[in-house]
Order: sequence, then structure tokens, then C-alpha cells
Amino acid sequence: MDTEVGTRPDGQEARPTRAGRLRALLSAENVIAVVLFVALFYVPYFLVGFPVYVLPQYMLFGVLALTLCLLWGFGGMVSFGQAAFFAIGAYALGVTLRDVGGPTAPWLGLLLALGLGVVLAAVIGWFLFSADVRDSYFVLVTLALSTITQVLANSESQLTGGFNGMFVERVTLPFGVVDVSLAGDLAAYYVIFAFTLLCYLLFRYIQWSAFGRVLVSIRENEDRSRALGYNTALYKTVAFAVSGGVAAVAGALYATDAGFVSPTLGGVLFSTSVVVWVAIGGRHYFIGALIGGIGISILSQTLNARIPEYWQLLLGLLFVVAVGFFRRGIVGTILELPGRMRSRRG
Amino acid sequence: MDRVLSVLLDVVTSTLVLALVSLGLAVVFGLVRVINMGHGAMLALGAYVAWTCVNRGIPFPVAVLVATVAVGIVGLVFEVLVIRHFYEQPFETLLISWGFYLVVTELIKLVWGTDLRSLPNPLPGTLSVGGAGIGNYVAVISLISAALLTATALVLYRTDLGVKVRAMIQNRDMALMLGVNAPRMYRSVFAVGAALAGLAGALIAPMFSIEPDMGTLWLVRSFFAVIVGGLGAIVGGTLVGSGLIGGATVVFALFSKQVFAQTVVFALAVIALRFRPVGILGRR
Repeated sequence: MDTEVGTRPDGQEARPTRAGRLRALLSAENVIAVVLFVALFYVPYFLVGFPVYVLPQYMLFGVLALTLCLLWGFGGMVSFGQAAFFAIGAYALGVTLRDVGGPTAPWLGLLLALGLGVVLAAVIGWFLFSADVRDSYFVLVTLALSTITQVLANSESQLTGGFNGMFVERVTLPFGVVDVSLAGDLAAYYVIFAFTLLCYLLFRYIQWSAFGRVLVSIRENEDRSRALGYNTALYKTVAFAVSGGVAAVAGALYATDAGFVSPTLGGVLFSTSVVVWVAIGGRHYFIGALIGGIGISILSQTLNARIPEYWQLLLGLLFVVAVGFFRRGIVGTILELPGRMRSRRG
Repeated sequence: MDRVLSVLLDVVTSTLVLALVSLGLAVVFGLVRVINMGHGAMLALGAYVAWTCVNRGIPFPVAVLVATVAVGIVGLVFEVLVIRHFYEQPFETLLISWGFYLVVTELIKLVWGTDLRSLPNPLPGTLSVGGAGIGNYVAVISLISAALLTATALVLYRTDLGVKVRAMIQNRDMALMLGVNAPRMYRSVFAVGAALAGLAGALIAPMFSIEPDMGTLWLVRSFFAVIVGGLGAIVGGTLVGSGLIGGATVVFALFSKQVFAQTVVFALAVIALRFRPVGILGRR
């Protein structure tokens, strides 16, 4: 009996061989991810000034796209409210720095952001999913969430600075023996780079874990997953809470990096920009969402200077095309190209 | 007593204005099951078309008609080019119509720019109703809204066309089999919904400032009005939903800031949605 390949008596999937494991590691998706992160790592070696200042913000947008990718690409729930969590995290850090102060305030602020994001998402998620609110209705509720966040950020000016926004300083994070100051652009770059990498790995781990597989089964057929005994509402709630928490921490880092938070950060338009990034990048792969978030932000930055109106128009058209006719998105199409060519030949 | 009457008037007019804005959405949602996120952009487009007409010296009522027709045509083109391919996938239509929102909003910015604009009130002055004052224009808008709701109800429940449309809601396949020309019906319904959005946008233009994103908040409010009111109960549902969303905002605003009232009402609407997803007048 072949000990390395084959179906085990209990019907479990075969344990992959070493070569198989290597091939899985070298999948196109992972190669692209490695290339992306290596490139991002070396950016400050070749570029100085504005790119190093602005790329961390785009990486955080990429993380925001990852949180939507978990919900949409894997869980089948489209949220028009991810920016709300991002803004809540940003304000949480800003308010903590302003009203608490002291050397531990940055950690407190990040912790508060995480806590608020997770708890708020968990409460909203459980409230809705336990009553089987899904698809379009879930979109409408999350749309209301970002509307409410923007309106409250505008009106509660004692807390948030209102319409004028709020300035947030670059923080210094005490790591026990060493203090890491984000004051320099380079330090901020690598701290946020590390955060982005960690988030990407976290989401890939979720995808690989049993939890991620159940999530996909819920996307494919929620009723069947429930019939198989999975508490689908709980799974969706956990996914929403994880994505809300990560989005909030990303928002907090954005606040300290960009130095400024305004109510539009939590608004409907920014929320739906995230949907646009993920749709165009490719919602079935985390790397697609990440590249969508970072890439479209870079393109927006460069093209907004030259053809501001036409670029946004083009983005809208691309979104329609991606949702209607081109569901894999750009990265998804590239990743699935070899397989499709193979199957055509065969 | 005057105070009670004035609040009551406020509730009634807010309800009717919101019902006017929501009607196009309700028609499209209720009849062809498309959640038209583009509704918000259609409202803005209607307002801008009316603004341009008025600034060219065209009288306001004619400008409103032009806006209605123009937005109706835009809706028709969108239906023919894109939406008709996706009726079977309600969720995709939602996202695609959001893409439509983005595209139209950008086109508005291209053509008209991003500055705030305003239209002069076509009917200045106030009307006294039993001691409580009400703006002339608001009163007229409310009457138009009531007339439109009545007309929609008459079309749906008293005409041949209405029978066909209702048959389509009740049992699409059976209606198709009995010879209802569904593609044409869907197209007309979508265009009528767009035209109603253009009409509403033009009519509310003198009451609010005109800006490219003016439709967003209205979009959320009218969604909740339509859903809380009840899916499929087009006229009654829109009226009841608008009453709850618009009226409740007025009542809450008595005790707190306007924005806070809006927030509370949205939260209540979400709660209502959770416990009664089909809406108050809706049936499964």
C-alpha cells in the first residue's frame, strides 16, 4: 500500500506528499504575494519622500480591502459599512491620545479600537444573522451603519472635532525594552508594512482553517451548511467581528500615520470604494483584494492629479464591468488563467 | 393646541415628501425586485436638470417635466444596456446599480461641477392652516405626492395594465405563460421608476441644496421607508414606511438634534427590519 498518496480508510483527504506540499506553497497566489511583499519591503530602498510617506496609508486601505474580502469573497456577505469600522478605530485612537495621554495611550487607543470594532461588529452581526438577515438587506443595514457613523462624526463635534476633523499625532509604541516611534516616515512605513503582512497571514490562516472552509460552505449554500449542523449565524458573526476588529485597528494606524481624521472616512462613499477595490482586484483571493486596495489607491493618487473626473468615472465603469461580467476581478483572472487554459486544451 | 397642529402638519408633509422620493424606488423594488441603488443619483440628476432649465429661463413646472422625461430616458438606457441581463440575480443588480450611481455622480460632477447650487423657491410665502403655518411650496409638494400615490394606486388596482403588473408580482412564471410581455413590462417599470426619481429630485430641488451626492442620504431614508413599509405593498407600504421614517424623525427631532433623531430612526428601522423582514404591510 502506498503510504504517501491515496485515500485514507476513513475517507479523509490524502495527506499531501512533500512534493505536493511544495507545489502548494509555490502556487501562483503565494508567488504573487511574496513578490508583492518583497517589493513593498524594498520600496524605501529605491524611493524617497512622498511614496514612502503615502504607501503605508494605501497598505492600510489594502488591509481594509482584506476585511471585506473575508466577508464577501469567502462569507458571501457584502458590507457597505467597512469604512465605518475604519473610522471608529481612527477616532478611538485619536480620542484616547487627546483625552488620556501618557506613554501607554497609543496601546490603549489601539486596544480600544480593536475592542470597539470587534464588539460593535459582533453585536450588529449577531443581531442580524440570528434573524437570517442576509444579501441585499444586510447591504442596506451596513449602508445605514456608515451613514450613521458619518453623521455622528459630523455632529458630535466635542468628541470628534466635527466637520473640521481631528488631528492625530504620530505615536510612539513602547515595546517593553524598546520604544518604536512612528514619527519618522521610514519607521512608520515598516511598522505598517509588518502590520499588513501580519493581517495578510492572519486572513490566509483563516482561509486555510476549518473555520474558513465552513465559511465558504455557508457562502455556497447556507441552508445546507445549517442542515449539516453548523451554527451559520455564529460563523458569520465571528467573521464579521474579526473583519470589524481588523478594520478598526487599521483605521487607528491610519489616523496616526495620516495625522488627520475626518467624518468622510466613515462615510458611504469611502465604504463603497472598498467594495470597488475588492470587486476589481478579485474577491475570491485575499491577494486580489490587497492588490486592489493598494493598486487602485496608487492609481487614484497619480491619476487624480491629471484626470480627476475621468478617473473616477472609469473606476465606476470598471466596477460595473467587474460585478456584471468579470467576476473574478483582475488578480483572480490572472490566477485562474493557467487552469482554464489547461482545461481548454484537455 | 397650535403646537400640536404644527407638529402634525410637519409629520404629514415630511411623510408625503419622503413618500414622493421613495415612490420610484418602491415601484422598481416592488414590481421587478431590483434594489436600485442608482435611485440616489437619479434624484440628483433630476435636480440638476431642473436647475439648468430654470437658469435658462424655462418656467419651473416645465423644468420639472423635462427632468422627469430626461431621467426616465437615462433609466431606460441603463435598463437596456445593463440591468435587463441581470434580473435573475437580484444581488448583482444591487451592486451594478451602485456602479450606475458612481458613474452618474461622476458625470454630474463633470457637467455641473461640485459647487453647491440652489433653486429659488417657486412659491414663496406661507399658508395658515388653523393657526399653524406651512410653506406654500411644501404644501404643493405634499399635494403632488398624494396625487401621485393615488394615481399609482389607481393604475395598479383599476386598470388592465395594473392587473398584468400585479399578476407579474404574484406569479411571474404564470403571468409569462398567460402572455404578459415581461421584457417590455420590466423595461417600462424600470423607466417609470427612474422618471419618478427624476420628478422627485426636481421637485425637492428648491427645498434643499443641490450637490452631486445629495441623493445618498435620501437613498438610505427611502430604502428604509420602502422596506419597513412592506415589500410588494407599493402604495400603502410606501406611505406607511414614509410615515414611520419621516414622521418619527420629526417627532424625535422635537426632543433632540435633527441628526440624532435621524440616527435613532435608522436604528429603529434596523430593529424593525430584523423582527419583521417583510415589512409592516408586506406578505411573504
